[in-house]
Amino acid sequence: MTASQLFLQQLSNGLTLGSIYALIALGYTMIYGVIQLINFAHGEVFIVGAYAALCVMSMTSLQAVMPWWLLLGLAIVVAMFVSALLGWVMERLAYRPLRTAPRLNALITAIGMSFFLQNALMLIFGATDRSFPNWVPAVRWDIGGVTLTLMHIIIWVSSALMMLGLHFLVMKTQLGMAMRATSQDQKACYLLGIPVNRIISMTFMIGAVFASVGGVLFGLNYGTINFHDGYMMGLKAFTAAVLGGIGNLPGAMIGGLVLGILESMGAGYLSSQWKNVFAFVILVIILIFKPRGLLGERVAERA
Amino acid sequence: MIKKVTVPFFVLLLMCGVGCGESVPTVKIGFVAPLTGDQAPHGEDMLNAAQLAIQHAQAEGAVLPGYQLELVALDDQRNPTQAVSAAKKLVSDKAVMAAIGHLNSSCTMPASAIYYQAGLLNITPVSSNPQISQQGFSTFYRTCATDDLQGPAAARFAINALNARSIFIIDDMTTYGRGLADAYQRELEKLGGTVLGHEGLAQGDKDFVPLLTKIKSMNPDLVYFAGMFPEGALLIKQHFELGMNSQFMGGDGLYDPVLIELATPEAAEGVIITTIGVDVHQLETARAFVKEYEETYGPIGAYSAYTYEATKIAIWAIRQAGVMDRSAVLDAMKNLKDYPGLFGLQNFDEHGDSLIRDIGIFEVRDGTFVSIKSLRFE
Amino acid sequence: MTKGTVTFFAISVAVPLVANAYQLDVLTSVLIYAMLALGLNLIVGLAGLLHLGYAAFFAIGAYTYALLNIHWGWSFWVGWAPAVLIAALGSGLVGASALRVRGDYLAIVTLGFGEIIRLIFNNLDQWTGGPNGLLGIAHPTLWLPQGMYDFSVKSLPYYYLSLVLLGGVWLFCHRLSHSRLGRAWMAMRDDELAAACMGIPVLKMKLLVQICGGAVAGLAGAFFAAKQGTVTPDSFDFIQSVMVLSMVVLGGMGSMRGAILGAMLLGVLPEMLRGADQYRMLVFGLSMIVMMRLRPQGLLGRSHKESQLAAH
Repeated sequence: MTASQLFLQQLSNGLTLGSIYALIALGYTMIYGVIQLINFAHGEVFIVGAYAALCVMSMTSLQAVMPWWLLLGLAIVVAMFVSALLGWVMERLAYRPLRTAPRLNALITAIGMSFFLQNALMLIFGATDRSFPNWVPAVRWDIGGVTLTLMHIIIWVSSALMMLGLHFLVMKTQLGMAMRATSQDQKACYLLGIPVNRIISMTFMIGAVFASVGGVLFGLNYGTINFHDGYMMGLKAFTAAVLGGIGNLPGAMIGGLVLGILESMGAGYLSSQWKNVFAFVILVIILIFKPRGLLGERVAERA
Repeated sequence: MIKKVTVPFFVLLLMCGVGCGESVPTVKIGFVAPLTGDQAPHGEDMLNAAQLAIQHAQAEGAVLPGYQLELVALDDQRNPTQAVSAAKKLVSDKAVMAAIGHLNSSCTMPASAIYYQAGLLNITPVSSNPQISQQGFSTFYRTCATDDLQGPAAARFAINALNARSIFIIDDMTTYGRGLADAYQRELEKLGGTVLGHEGLAQGDKDFVPLLTKIKSMNPDLVYFAGMFPEGALLIKQHFELGMNSQFMGGDGLYDPVLIELATPEAAEGVIITTIGVDVHQLETARAFVKEYEETYGPIGAYSAYTYEATKIAIWAIRQAGVMDRSAVLDAMKNLKDYPGLFGLQNFDEHGDSLIRDIGIFEVRDGTFVSIKSLRFE
Repeated sequence: MTKGTVTFFAISVAVPLVANAYQLDVLTSVLIYAMLALGLNLIVGLAGLLHLGYAAFFAIGAYTYALLNIHWGWSFWVGWAPAVLIAALGSGLVGASALRVRGDYLAIVTLGFGEIIRLIFNNLDQWTGGPNGLLGIAHPTLWLPQGMYDFSVKSLPYYYLSLVLLGGVWLFCHRLSHSRLGRAWMAMRDDELAAACMGIPVLKMKLLVQICGGAVAGLAGAFFAAKQGTVTPDSFDFIQSVMVLSMVVLGGMGSMRGAILGAMLLGVLPEMLRGADQYRMLVFGLSMIVMMRLRPQGLLGRSHKESQLAAH
């Protein structure tokens, strides 16, 4: 393996990880854009999606009557549904009553939510790693010394499609327009008859759907899931959102990919045991020196 | 305001005191291992064996006349600080006459100091870091072999039987992982093997692909991992998915059927691991135990037999002492000679290490561990 | 010093008459938590800066003392001072680099710093022992007329020592919050812009409160290391930071009595639930959510309205 082949291979590793980050980061950035809340529990929404899919996929009665790809599709749909429901319930019960309260209260609620969900998952599914069936055929291509697997291609393509879909939704549909309006000025939206509460609920649900797809892809790719994976992945995805400029949708995608690539390069060329430090250092540096992120959005002036 | 602050203080104090007043006098054996968290499967295997030992002892008659025998199982979450708290809890209970545990060397190391200061017999079934017994604690015993045997034995096997010349070493930076990896590396270099690199990884991490990609570019004959099965399984799986043709080898922390399930059988096929101790199924002396264990709890775990042995020896020492006195138990332990245990006649050296020092070598074939070699060190 | 405080300390002094060694050990860790909660209360409760990486300064204190003790044989009676200084310095540096970051962004920056510091302790294994931490920290000893008294693994001396330290921390925080500084912090918390207009040097005040809070955590850390005899990085993870924060929130942000009450409730709970440990974080999470909804000012805290009324 030559140096350039190694570089390309690490780049593809980073793109895979980064695509999953990007899917989760979109949720953070959308929710922040609309109600300026860092939804700390978003990482848990992601792993709940993975567990929901796992439950469907391990049902032997369904395995008997369906081909694997259909069952996988069903699992993804169920995961989306469960996560969206969770996102809706979370917003309705925990965050909405605090919308006018001091911002610290909402953030503490979000942390409490994250702890609650993590431990609920641990009690339901146990603390040990659960193996996640990977039914995607282990097809491997060797292109100029760089190994690509079908799984990687699926991750890239499906996340790219999802992001395109989101872009269309936000830019071209009425719902998207209402979301953008809500993020600009909630009071004005009320006056214009935009159902602000419903728009906010929808935002949580859409964010959750993206996270759940990320969760299923994560499970398929790594083959094991654990209740605490949501915390680390959520934090990294949040870093990605900040990196791209929180509140900025293309920023979240680019931030996710950049973070994934930086992490892979760091682990591959520098040291694997320091790779989480790289991610946090990036987070801190961006927040301190360039809180608008790479793509820059409005200034985060919140107290 | 006075009431608001002080009342809960006393309520809580009373609550921690609940359960102190027992009517029947009991003699207790403490047991500490990770019972929650990612290494809980190992801890459960150990706890099952300890409970079986207690049942057998109860069937053999009262350990001390007029006393009931009881197992106190605590969880250390594989966390050294939790291990110290659990050890302190055990030593402060005057009815505890022995402590069996812990699993992880990083936990046994600090906890053994607590047991020593309290004069409480401590037998670890599985913590294999050699330095633990070199601390000079007269309270410390261990029923398994140590990593200064396991590491070199694994290295010799890699060089001589597997014909590996260039090797990359990974560990999980814990007392156990680092200690085993270092012992392995020293022997490899002595035997003329080339160590391409030695890196640490963090417990709980998922994505080792960048590290493995780097290793792949070095094209080693063998990748060695000293650590536990959750990370081991992911390494094996990602090693396979990257299409690496190097042999994967690991230490006893990987010896758990869950490893194969998590890594998937096809990725784990051909993985070689070493264990501290031989395959218990092959031991004549352990046949009855293995049969009963597997009928009660399912497939026997890697550390079950050692835990059973440790618990039975502790009970033996209490019987010999004949009184509720920690120092008498320690004296009895010093006089132990040719105890007929699961692995043959058990004796301990002056550091408390078992003289039965077996290393087993296993290969994963068709989704199960198959014993391919057993070594005994005298 | 109020009557309530005196009574609290008087009762605490008498507790060992009825408690056994294990219970004293648990109460000692509660007292450590109480120190931490008081320190964090300065930053979060008084000055209104949401800090999510407080455990890092607890870690710095613990590791500083542990290294001084192991390599140079410093005893606890002198080793606590550099631990306090370095933790205060660390907290000041984190504060200084995040001076212009506010609100939930500050929370995330401090979270990031907290994780970075813990991971550094975890990864610099040549000095810190990596994930295994540092072992063999000598227990404190006292020179008495009858000879040397070794704290060893006994419970009683640590209990009293922690009580003394908590008394010191209490006085420190009490004096601070009733000084010009304390009033400035509260003014800054209630309305930063107005405070700045009144001539309060807001940035300097933010830095100062973090230095003071860090110092308290450093003291608690040094004592923790001395008591445990070992320090490991996972004692200082994010969950620990959140634990201390929930103590402050539960008791009531800005209330010193509240911080101690919170430490008692949340400190004893996990020990009582050892074995049923899994439920404790679940209950934590739920209580944080419910608390924010029903009584956002905490058990002993004053609501925003009340404190505004009291100010008139």
